Amino acid sequence: MNGWTLAGTSFLASAVEAVEALTIVLAVGVARSWPIALRATAYALLALAAIVAVFGPLLHLIPIDALKLIVGIVLTLFGLAWLRKAILRYAGRKSVRNEDVAYERQIEALRAVEEAQADKIGFVTAFKAVLIEGLEVAIIVVTFGAGSTLALGWSAAGAACAVALVALAGLALKAPASRVPENTMKFVVGVMLTSFGTFWTGEGLGVAWWGADLSLLFLAVFYLAASAVLVAIARAPRTVRA
Amino acid sequence: MNIAAIWEFIAGDSRRAPVAVAIAIVVAIVLVRTAPASSIAGVAFACIVALGLAAAVFERT
Repeated sequence: MNGWTLAGTSFLASAVEAVEALTIVLAVGVARSWPIALRATAYALLALAAIVAVFGPLLHLIPIDALKLIVGIVLTLFGLAWLRKAILRYAGRKSVRNEDVAYERQIEALRAVEEAQADKIGFVTAFKAVLIEGLEVAIIVVTFGAGSTLALGWSAAGAACAVALVALAGLALKAPASRVPENTMKFVVGVMLTSFGTFWTGEGLGVAWWGADLSLLFLAVFYLAASAVLVAIARAPRTVRA
Repeated sequence: MNIAAIWEFIAGDSRRAPVAVAIAIVVAIVLVRTAPASSIAGVAFACIVALGLAAAVFERT
């Protein structure tokens, strides 16, 4: 599998999770204090590293075909869920998630609680957000890198670049993450996750794909075209019978 | 975190998409064993998944 493709997919998927975590950390930083937000982030990253260090190596005990099948099914389901939401949002059937709204809600919630408890709640909020989104990034890295040690390296590099880039963007802008076109990112990631999921499920079941890894590109084009058609159909106004 | 929460995290709130994936797996298993070329099973899997996506898009949740 092409390392750059792997890193690119991992980069995009991880960037989505990092943007979500950044939004909460920014909200806690603005509403309470930056030391609390940054300390919670640091503790969450330490907890995350410990979890990955303990449970990560266990994945290598599973036979590779079984792993590809399980990971493939999960990625396909995950990709379909993302793609479905992105299609519905493009078609105007679901509101586009606005990070500004999430950010303002978070600030309002934090300011509403008692001062004495606010710091503690702010810490837990940022800690939980970074830990959960970080775990999602770890799952993305491990699943995309399940093929080999080299693949794991490419996947981890892509995720690390995404997290670093989003963190730098957050520090530079200090503004809600809604400036990143989240739905576009989710649409592209949904297509990629579904394509990888289909490819790996097929390999796990014993399918010898035509063109080997090149078939990933065909699968991505196929799902992209299908999704574009679905956006057009879902967007079309329904005719009402008199 | 319970099983239902993990399932919702992975598959979202659609019921049709997971059913389509399950059907696609069964069809692919049969085709891998019976079709002249295993890539036919792969193509069938992708088509059923795409149909599942279409069904999920127009699903009321």
